[in-house]
Amino acid sequence: MWLPFLGLLLGIAFGLLTNIQIPTVYENYLSIAVLAALDTLFGGIRAQLQQVYDDKVFMSGFFFNIMLAAGLAFLGVHLGVDLYLAAIFAFGVRLFQNIAIIRRILLTKWDEKRHKKKIYP
Amino acid sequence: MKRNMYTRITIVLFIIGLMMAVQYNTIRKPAERDTRDIWAIREELSEEKKQHSALLAEIRSLDDVVNRYEQSEETNMQAVLNETVESLKQQAGLTDVTGPGVILRIELAPELVAMGYEIEEISPDLLIQLTNSLFKYSATNVAIDGNRIVHTTAIRDINGETTVNSVPLSSPPFEIHVGTNSYKDAKKMYNSLQASTFIDSFYLDNYNLIIEEPTYELTIPAFENSLTNDYLTEAKKGE
Repeated sequence: MWLPFLGLLLGIAFGLLTNIQIPTVYENYLSIAVLAALDTLFGGIRAQLQQVYDDKVFMSGFFFNIMLAAGLAFLGVHLGVDLYLAAIFAFGVRLFQNIAIIRRILLTKWDEKRHKKKIYP
Repeated sequence: MKRNMYTRITIVLFIIGLMMAVQYNTIRKPAERDTRDIWAIREELSEEKKQHSALLAEIRSLDDVVNRYEQSEETNMQAVLNETVESLKQQAGLTDVTGPGVILRIELAPELVAMGYEIEEISPDLLIQLTNSLFKYSATNVAIDGNRIVHTTAIRDINGETTVNSVPLSSPPFEIHVGTNSYKDAKKMYNSLQASTFIDSFYLDNYNLIIEEPTYELTIPAFENSLTNDYLTEAKKGE
């Protein structure tokens, strides 16, 4: 259960300690990639809670979303249209939806648990 | 199956963490850019050089003292120690000092007195500014109205009276004695003071600041009270 958090901490520590920096020009891409990654992560958690989780979907979604977002931003820069806003919007909305669904599912589960305790103490 | 999922999520989270950290680094890092041009760097270098040579001079003088300690061993250890104490006392302003210097005299402006202007106390701010400028013009010892300026001296207003070392200034005219290292320095100070705005500043307060020609022999009195230091303590040997 704690393994994922360990991964997160490890990643942050690794990034901070090695002090990697990317050129300012590519900042936009990275921020979008982070957003896409978060979106996929919460999508995965939601899928797991709804028991429709699929490894292939999760992993492919993770990398594909990141690349799509970065590609969209790249295209936007070259076309002179802020296309990365579209990606931010899409991912942002989905992120909130996913988190809302996760919250509801957890609440329902919690309620059920309490109910059961009442009936069979 | 479940174990597999956790591994995947761990990998994904690791990548997310890494990306966030990199993003954080990138946004935060370009903190300070060195925008000095060659001239500014040269100035700074010369400043450092000056400090360097001052430190070297200090090292040399301390080495000298050590040498003398070692040479004299027991025979006249006391004399050498006394000498050191004496020089430290001189540095702290506890001895009379005679040398080249400039006398500044502060008098009431007679025409303003005749016009019936009310004469107020000389303001501590003006005196502080004058003292700071004197030290900037390489003064070594300063006494205001016979009160020697040492590192703990306060020039301030106490109950409406301007005091130096908590001693009220006598009513004008009084003198400020400024000692310098050499006659050349004294001359330089005389010229700097003549060119400065202090004469005007004093006139605004209804005083005349008279700067006398530099002299070769000027005696500056010692600091009369005892120096207090509340924060220094004696270090034990070997600590």
